[in-house]
Amino acid sequence: YILTVSMPLDCKEEPGSLTRCPSISQEKLLDRVIHHAELIYRVSEESCSLFEEMFIPLPLRLQSNQAGFACITKTLPIPSSKSEIEQISDKWLLHSVLMLVQSWIEPLVYLQTTLDRYDNAPEMLVNKTKWVSEKLVSLEQGVVALIKKMLDEGTFTTTYNEQGLFQYDTLPDMLESVMRDYTLLSCFKKDAHKMETFLKLLKCRQADKYNCA
Amino acid sequence: MIKRKCCSDLISKHLFSSSDICSTALIEPHFTECISRNQETFRCWWSPGSFHNLSSPGALRVFYLKKEPPTSQWKECPEYIHSNRECFFDAHHTSIWITYCVQLRTQNNITYFNEDDCFSVENIVRPDPPVSLNWTLMTISPSRINYDVMVNWESPPTADVRLGWMRLEYELQYRDRNTTNWEAVTRGLVVIIIMMSSVSFCFLESPVHLTLVFVFGTVGILILIMLIVISQQNRLMIFLLPPVPAPKIKGIDSELLKKGKLDELNFMLSSGGMDGLPIYAPDFYQDEPWVELMEVNETEDVDSGEKEDNRGSDTQKLLGQSQPVSQHINISCSNSISGPDAESAQATCYNTDLPEEETLMLMATLLPGQPDEEETSLDTVERSSASETDERQLIQTQTRGPQTWVNTDFYAQVSNVMPSGGVVLSPGQQLRIQESISAAEKETKKKRKESEDSEESEERKQKEPQFQLLVVDPEGSAYSTESSIQQISTPPPSSPMPGEGYHIIHPQPVEPRPAATTEVNQSPYILPDSPQFFAPVADYTVVQDLDSHHSLLLNLPSHQTPPPCLPQHPLKTPMPVGYITPDLLGNLSQ
Repeated sequence: YILTVSMPLDCKEEPGSLTRCPSISQEKLLDRVIHHAELIYRVSEESCSLFEEMFIPLPLRLQSNQAGFACITKTLPIPSSKSEIEQISDKWLLHSVLMLVQSWIEPLVYLQTTLDRYDNAPEMLVNKTKWVSEKLVSLEQGVVALIKKMLDEGTFTTTYNEQGLFQYDTLPDMLESVMRDYTLLSCFKKDAHKMETFLKLLKCRQADKYNCA
Repeated sequence: MIKRKCCSDLISKHLFSSSDICSTALIEPHFTECISRNQETFRCWWSPGSFHNLSSPGALRVFYLKKEPPTSQWKECPEYIHSNRECFFDAHHTSIWITYCVQLRTQNNITYFNEDDCFSVENIVRPDPPVSLNWTLMTISPSRINYDVMVNWESPPTADVRLGWMRLEYELQYRDRNTTNWEAVTRGLVVIIIMMSSVSFCFLESPVHLTLVFVFGTVGILILIMLIVISQQNRLMIFLLPPVPAPKIKGIDSELLKKGKLDELNFMLSSGGMDGLPIYAPDFYQDEPWVELMEVNETEDVDSGEKEDNRGSDTQKLLGQSQPVSQHINISCSNSISGPDAESAQATCYNTDLPEEETLMLMATLLPGQPDEEETSLDTVERSSASETDERQLIQTQTRGPQTWVNTDFYAQVSNVMPSGGVVLSPGQQLRIQESISAAEKETKKKRKESEDSEESEERKQKEPQFQLLVVDPEGSAYSTESSIQQISTPPPSSPMPGEGYHIIHPQPVEPRPAATTEVNQSPYILPDSPQFFAPVADYTVVQDLDSHHSLLLNLPSHQTPPPCLPQHPLKTPMPVGYITPDLLGNLSQ
């Protein structure tokens, strides 16, 4: 159920070298990356529901939809409609995914630490967020490898994890802190769905360029 | 998600009971539902509520807000379907992952807006049902009760599953024709649905089942192994950790031996203690350890597990078990038995310090006095082994120094030596010893053949007949400590001294001659099971020393070539009492 996308990112096949880098086909790599994204989305959805049940009072739950305006990744230039998505190139699809993944690595780590401050955070919730945090790193590696394979771009270290995206200031009010964490989880769930969708669209394009528009 | 306005909101916000309030309260115009079928477009339906004057088309207008930067302002519905009181958002106006808010406005700009009417399109997706649901009868059981049916369907055309835009999950449900409740089929199973009176299922092997099978299988195997181990515990323990034999005399308290209560011991062994010693039975030596020593034992190496046994073994074990002594004590040298590797194996013999020390400790416990240096015997052992190449060597070490030997009055005596290679310990045991020796010979032969070609071995046998010397204690303790029993190669045998009744044993393929036993009757009994054991016998011959050719010297010549380490044995000179002492025996190995 849990896959590990392990790729030797630094593996360079030099001519004459005896060791061959373990290689994986592009299709397989893409499948694995998609599977990662699917799992991450599913677990994030469960985590969000768990958190909502435990910590969010009923009247406040519906406001989560309004929180979409406060997601940390709102500034990223990521297409949001199917028509837009269909028009952008493979390269931008992949880079969009990479942007999202890298933006969320740090906030998820932060979320793990905040959950420790909750009195009765269920262990399942803690475990799920931990799992997601770890798998996100794997996903990043996979996407980087995919970019390298599909787009023939060299490994680059530029990350989209800009400092301005996430603030660590601790809110004095408990309710506000809880709401912020809730927003964080909801936004991540949304972005996880984005990642999965983008990758699947990419796969369709790989298989059949013309019908996948 | 947009919920039905009236009751749910009132309940959630004001905790009022539903029905009364709903019926009487004024219901504002509100949205009833917003749904997306394909995650590309969505629709919203509204209701005027109790404001019937607003029910006419166009009386209420729909405005929506897309919460995305930079600007967010209310825009009117892109497409009205007034007949349905529906607002349709086409793909161009639909953005996923972005929050939408909708509100109703009258012509007079009276706004009816609820904060709850905000949503994200991916959260309001409700796909169309699958199409082309069909079933096929596969197999029918012989009893005609169970049927295998395959159910298949297709994804709804509106959902773009191929593109991966939507991921649909299905749940198959079934019911009996007469009932109204639908039951769901768990995922991962192949469902067999029968459209008849009974329903049967066929389950695929889901990964969960395989895991269970594996788990249960492993647990069962483990339990089986445990049962086997528990039931065969004793045998397994003996197999894995052969008990270390300790010198023991049946009927004699090992404490006596430890604490050196010789008088009591002697008493017990004398006729006074006859009752307590069942060892007089002729069958006693059936499993006598030291007799076994004459045999070549292919025993396993001592492994560290035996050390624990050595430590804890007491003297009872020695007499009780035939194998252990020879096994244990020979174990460290069993490697030497195999021909080609004898040298290296011998090295292992002496390098296994601990087993030897264990045996030495055992000896120490048996004999009173202080433990003496062990190197002496070890040295002799080494020396002997160095001279041999691929001879068999049963090497025993002995802790007792000569003093203690003398002090305890324990001595060993060979009453008669058979030309066939057997040692006559007592008249009654001749036959047994002959048997054991012949068995040893056979094994010798076998091993010789195994090691190198038989010719060479035969030659070697001729040239270096093996000499077996058994040191027994005729008086005192009723056992022969496996003090120093060594097989050494000897030069061509010297003729038996007349009148001495003492022979050099040659384990040649000569059957032991029963005639040789005739002389034994005169000789004292050595083995403790004989009733005459305790009569101090003077009529015996003693090996004084070994000459350079490794032959036994019964009467010492005037000169002697002291072996390099002889100075360590102050009692090398023939003892007046004629006892063969352990140190002498140690010298024999030179």
